[in-house]
Amino acid sequence: MSTTNDIYILAAKQISVQPPLTDEWLDDPLRYAAPYARAIDPDYRQHFAPNVARRLGKILKRALLTSRQVAAATGVTNPDAIITGTGLGCIENTEIFLNALVREGEELLTPTYFMQSTHNTISSLIAIDAGCRGYNSTYVHKGASFECALADAFAQLESRRIQTALVGAHDEMTPGYFTLLTRTGYLGRAAAGFSGEVALSMMLAAARRENALCRLRGVEMTYRPDSNALRQALLRLLQRAQCTLNDVDAVMTGVSGQQVNDQLYASVCTALFPRKPLLRYKHLFGEAYTASGLGVYAAAVCLSRQRIPAHLFAEHRRGEQRGVGHILFYSHAEGKNHSFILLSPCGK
Amino acid sequence: MEELILQLKQEIIRVLNLEDVTPAGIADSAPLFGEGLGLDSIDALELIVLMEKRYGIKLKDPAQGREIFTSIRVMAEYIHANRTK
Repeated sequence: MSTTNDIYILAAKQISVQPPLTDEWLDDPLRYAAPYARAIDPDYRQHFAPNVARRLGKILKRALLTSRQVAAATGVTNPDAIITGTGLGCIENTEIFLNALVREGEELLTPTYFMQSTHNTISSLIAIDAGCRGYNSTYVHKGASFECALADAFAQLESRRIQTALVGAHDEMTPGYFTLLTRTGYLGRAAAGFSGEVALSMMLAAARRENALCRLRGVEMTYRPDSNALRQALLRLLQRAQCTLNDVDAVMTGVSGQQVNDQLYASVCTALFPRKPLLRYKHLFGEAYTASGLGVYAAAVCLSRQRIPAHLFAEHRRGEQRGVGHILFYSHAEGKNHSFILLSPCGK
Repeated sequence: MEELILQLKQEIIRVLNLEDVTPAGIADSAPLFGEGLGLDSIDALELIVLMEKRYGIKLKDPAQGREIFTSIRVMAEYIHANRTK
């Protein structure tokens, strides 16, 4: 019988700057020196009929394919909820549409790019593809978009309003938008990490199934907290999961090489979990508004495989860790939205 | 006319993003909608925009499209007779 906190990540699939639809990054990660990398796309012709693929922008193909694959892997072909987090939505099609708007003097606009220029196109297209008429929602909240989507799914699963949820993190980065972020100084500086792209789909369920990746023990978000409020948020999460900080084996963080971002991580980690091994993922997957989705995915894979490869540790001197208990995921979005997510192995 | 037909096929492939379709693969008289290329109502809107942007033909009555978009040849003949650019 399931308890109120029995929530599992059954499966997750990604398309990113690492080899697509696999967990190869765990043993043989690709490294990027350039400040901007686009996702490695699989051959979509093997997955979509030409008359379907021709209307889909890259982000939609990635979202559909990762969603289909987690549905196939879990047998959950009609989830109770489809919840997507995206910072920029279908930005590539939006740019094409807006550029045409300017070029053509607000006339002669083609419908396809317009239809695919909204953020909620992703969630709705997944629902149409799956024939899913249930709860469908999209969170657009910059660097906290994925966390909002996950928190929504967790709350509904915990209250047993739903039994399954397909949660996604999807963002593409166009050359034009990258240029804008470079001009603001947010991306593109030397030794400041690199910009990547995200397509992550994960299936959550209120009951364990065979081959589930891990348990999702809780999601706690707080906005502009002082140090005490941040500590209280962490304690709430741990108490609800009936854990203590001593149970946490490692903390996954979003350090990226960007100075302001990393300084905040350093101060919070020093204050809240000074002796915990720190993990990172953005050196492999890059920076993106919903990169945290890939961080949670990376932690889930580590829990499933019961090992943390050496290259995920922030401190280079550490070797691979075998046997993993709880992983705490901590992220902040520009120092405003702070999120804690607790993951455990399926048996714990 | 043959030159216009070829040009029109190339434009349609580009605008509708018809991957794996070549001009030679589109029969001049084959239906564009339903059978043949299997286009749909959204494609019809794309073709209306193409007609205006590329050939200066403004279709005021959407019902006109049903006749004009019967096939590539019918479309080319209409463009040939009505184009303003």
